[in-house]
Amino acid sequence: MEEEVEKAVFAYLRKKGFRLTEIALQEEQTRLSSDASSLSRSESDAAKYYDGYGKLRSWAYNSLDSYRHELLRVLYPVFIHCFMDLVAQGHMQEARTFFQTFREDHEMMHLRDLQKLEGILSPSHLEEMELARLWRQNKVKIRLCQYSYELLVQYLHKTQSLAMLGVINEHINFEVYPGQPASMSDDSEAVFLIGTSQDLAREINQKELHWGLLEDSVEERMEKTLSESDKTEVDGNKEADTEDNNKKKTDGNKHSTAVNNKKKKDKVVGATGKTIRSESSMVSVPPRVKPELTLPQFPPEVEQSILEDLRNRVQLNSLALPSVSFYTFLNTHNGLNCSTISHDGSLVAGGFSDSSVKIWDMAKIGQPGRASNPQGENGSMQGMHSLASDEAKRPYSLLQGHSGPVYSVSFSPFADFLLSSSSDNTIRLWSTRLNANLVSYKGHNFPVWDAQFSPMGHYFATASHDRTARLWSVERIQPLRVMAGHLSDVDCVQWHPNCNYIATGSSDKTVRLWDVQTGNCARLFIGHRSMVLSLAISPDGRFMASGDEDGTIMLWDLSTGRSVSPIIGHSSCVWTLAFSCEGTLLASGSADCMVKLWDITSSMKALKTDDSKSGPASRLRLLKALPTKSTPVYTLRFSRRNLLFAAGALSAGS
Amino acid sequence: MSIVPKETIEVIAQSIGIPNLSPDVALALAPDVEYRLREITQEAIKCMRHSKRTVLTADDVDSALNLRNIEPIYGFASSDPLKFKRAIGHKDLFYLDDREVDFKEVIDAPLPKAPLDTAVVTHWLAIEGVQPAIPENPPIEAIVAPPDGKKMDHGKDDSLPIDLKLPIKHVLSRELQMYFDKIGELILGRADTPLFKDALLSLAKDSGLHPLVPYFSYFIADEVSRNLNNLPILFALMRVVKSLLSNPHIHIEPYLHQMMPSIITCLVAKRVGHQISDNHWAIRDFASKIVASICRRYGHVYHNLQSRLTKTLIHAFLDPSKALTQHYGAIQGLSALGPSVVRLLILPNLETYMQLLDPEMQLDKQKNELKRKEAWRVYGSLLLAGGSCLYDRLRLFPGLLSPPDILPWKTNKKIALTNLPNNKRKASSRLTAHQPPTKKLAVDPTGTNSQFPSTDGPVTSSSSGSNPNHHHSHNSSNNNSSSTGNITNANANINNVSGSGAHGQRVAVSNVLRQAWKEDLDAGHLLSSLHGLFGEGIFSFIQPAEMHCFI
Repeated sequence: MEEEVEKAVFAYLRKKGFRLTEIALQEEQTRLSSDASSLSRSESDAAKYYDGYGKLRSWAYNSLDSYRHELLRVLYPVFIHCFMDLVAQGHMQEARTFFQTFREDHEMMHLRDLQKLEGILSPSHLEEMELARLWRQNKVKIRLCQYSYELLVQYLHKTQSLAMLGVINEHINFEVYPGQPASMSDDSEAVFLIGTSQDLAREINQKELHWGLLEDSVEERMEKTLSESDKTEVDGNKEADTEDNNKKKTDGNKHSTAVNNKKKKDKVVGATGKTIRSESSMVSVPPRVKPELTLPQFPPEVEQSILEDLRNRVQLNSLALPSVSFYTFLNTHNGLNCSTISHDGSLVAGGFSDSSVKIWDMAKIGQPGRASNPQGENGSMQGMHSLASDEAKRPYSLLQGHSGPVYSVSFSPFADFLLSSSSDNTIRLWSTRLNANLVSYKGHNFPVWDAQFSPMGHYFATASHDRTARLWSVERIQPLRVMAGHLSDVDCVQWHPNCNYIATGSSDKTVRLWDVQTGNCARLFIGHRSMVLSLAISPDGRFMASGDEDGTIMLWDLSTGRSVSPIIGHSSCVWTLAFSCEGTLLASGSADCMVKLWDITSSMKALKTDDSKSGPASRLRLLKALPTKSTPVYTLRFSRRNLLFAAGALSAGS
Repeated sequence: MSIVPKETIEVIAQSIGIPNLSPDVALALAPDVEYRLREITQEAIKCMRHSKRTVLTADDVDSALNLRNIEPIYGFASSDPLKFKRAIGHKDLFYLDDREVDFKEVIDAPLPKAPLDTAVVTHWLAIEGVQPAIPENPPIEAIVAPPDGKKMDHGKDDSLPIDLKLPIKHVLSRELQMYFDKIGELILGRADTPLFKDALLSLAKDSGLHPLVPYFSYFIADEVSRNLNNLPILFALMRVVKSLLSNPHIHIEPYLHQMMPSIITCLVAKRVGHQISDNHWAIRDFASKIVASICRRYGHVYHNLQSRLTKTLIHAFLDPSKALTQHYGAIQGLSALGPSVVRLLILPNLETYMQLLDPEMQLDKQKNELKRKEAWRVYGSLLLAGGSCLYDRLRLFPGLLSPPDILPWKTNKKIALTNLPNNKRKASSRLTAHQPPTKKLAVDPTGTNSQFPSTDGPVTSSSSGSNPNHHHSHNSSNNNSSSTGNITNANANINNVSGSGAHGQRVAVSNVLRQAWKEDLDAGHLLSSLHGLFGEGIFSFIQPAEMHCFI
């Protein structure tokens, strides 16, 4: 009876082509039938893993050239699971030797994971460690071409390597596709994704994303003032959703505004830079979207100053590089954790490990570096001068209130307020005019790594060790939204220019984009190989750059959720990224004491030419590397006039 | 199995009061301890990253412990990275160098300086994408000096060195080009204007000049070889060299090999400027100082720098066929390198050299007034070298003068004192003998000054006053008591420098001098032998305190 069933099962499996299952079944049977003592069996088990993996490895390395890279992908999950199996069965010594023998192969791609997994020394650790649990609970998905798959199956059949077969069966899902193997350059795919995250990412990234800019923004109104007569056409542009529709409109728009610009040129004398700018922006006018949050209105005088800045903006591109004004913090005694610069460069704030926050008013110090940007000294700043006169001895205003190292500081768009986040789990709002603490926001349960004001003010987002990012408004002491989903610390947060999304980078090596209205994850970007430290979103809202611990900078297309171009940008941590106002340049600052300027337009053009095709065809072009004098670059900020501000602490021992 | 050995667990257990932990427990604990350690380290690294640092500190570990709700470990608070020491005899065992501090010491110690308050300064990292060359920015490293051969070839067919940069992929900003042109113009034309002084100051201070260094070094080499007869230009060039060397922002080492030959040329060239009218001695002195400062600063980087230099100089010094001016330069160069070099290289050869020099200095042997002057110059520089060497010895080891030597010297001194009127007379007669021809030769007033430079005191005094003493010393060794015979025999004795009477002492003297390089040499012996050669003039190098021994 039993045998009959068995036969039927085998026949069924053969018919359906489930060869691996068939083998597994056979293996199971043999294992059950063999009545060896448990001890000797387990000992031989350990050896089996070692031999089996060793053989599989040498086979994979000796396989056909064109299929090798696919087969090599199989090795890493097999390696990890062999190791974990050995640990789970209690063969500590064997597990260690196994790990040490073969770890070298995977160090290049997965060094950080290996370092974590290396610590697993007992079965209980498997349960405890997040990463290990993920590996155990989820299946790895590997894409193989038909022939590679057949090769693998044949090999496993031939060698009767049951241990390997078991591991592969248990933990790997093969996704077999017909045709030739994918090219080697498809590297980002080769980075292993644990469990269902790749599916998840694919699913998430198929959601619709309104990446366009806000309707009725100041900039748009600026353009309107330039083309009053064609107002209706510009307005009609805002609801453009699809790419094609958008292009048509853009063409129409281009024509009309170009004509209009010519007319205006004679009239507006000071707007030469502006006209160039609007011409360049016409290449692709981002679609307009409605705000999902109720956003505050700028007071008219503030708006006026923005318009003034926009009119005086310097045009930047690969040929016209920006001027960089560098703020160096001296005598920080290794205490400076973070810094930020206000939009006009007049205020610089630093958060220190002694829980203090210090604000320098550069207008008061009267540095020549600010001469080109005098807007900070308008009437409103005068009041502060008289108020701060009693503190004249100190060149800065000292803000004390936190009870732990301050990990981030962020100015509101007009530098009226300052946010600081600290390891004491709180975020504090300070008034830069009163030099006093206004609110302390408690909500996170662990140190708050990052806090960022929204581009319009009023709202802010925070990122914490408690694996959540939260959205707050300044007038409520409870968060409005909690964004949960990251598998490890959320290390950095950044607002989308249209205020409808926030991006977060995490120690789980992913970047996510969250919808502020629903609190759902709108995009998942996988590709970094270490902790993500910095984020920046281009002013047109379509691209996002992220920098990690290894010095890699990745550029993502928000609309498709794909990586545009990964680059090895720096030799050490990328602390900060900033897009120029037109989105033509990306500036990156790093612990290797460099400010680097990257050309974005060229890679975007490349993207446009093969818009339909995927794959990281282009690479970011390095335009300029500006070394500092042993000063790691902590903060970069483009002013509205496209002057680049940078800040960093002079490191001791130089 | 675990990287934490079970012995460590046992030691830790003992330290917290569990004396006999069973080995099984230790063995079981070890892997978990390792795991926890890794966990804490991972969290600590996160804290480190968020503090924007790349070095893990004790604070980070404390923060990580805080994150896990564990009490931090006290006593390691420091914002600086910890300094570990390797345990001797163990490959991978490190410990913190934790000194025991005496409370009293700490309390009694003066308060340390308050740390400077944090400040923010601004500068332009870039202006429209170009980094300005200001001290706040790192020096521009990207510029590579063009290969020498190429440079030389081009220099031959092109008289203007500034045009050199054409074939080189080396972008020099317009400002720098203008700067270079201006400096070159000043050197060649208007070195005596106050503007040139400002230019020298700028060369010594400005931070953005590094790209110009190859051009300057070539310019200097070229102009020195071309203007050997033009003393003002040479002087100006040497002052430029000095300024460049003193500029802290310039990385001049790669160009030293190009500059050294021109400086040495100025030091030991046979003819520098117009022999008669110009004060070429001054430029030799100046060049010797530059050479010495280069050796002091870069000697440790280029180990063969000083040895090559001294070899060149000693060759010039020991070659009798070389002109006296060259000898002078060599001696000046060597003595500028310090007393030890003098002891090692000049003193052993001093005696033979004096034999060579003596006839040159005598009125009756050397009829050429100019030659004689030169000889006296050389004599003066030798005296200075020997004297400063002696001074150095006495300063270091004041007690080194040995008593036995004192007695004879005392008598000697007496004689010298009795001789004084004679000396003076002789000296003055000598001076009067010198004066008229000097005036005749020197047309311009500066020329006369240079013949008897009032600037170097010791040299002047030695050339005019020590000569009679010189006779006298030999004389006194022969004839200790008679002073009358001394005067009468004076000239004859000098002619008998290598006379048989002096021979015994001579051997002793040369022996002492040959031993001069030895550290433990008795300064008294050195003094006596130097006195043997130079006479009283050497006494001006001895401090009054030591002088008392002799009187």
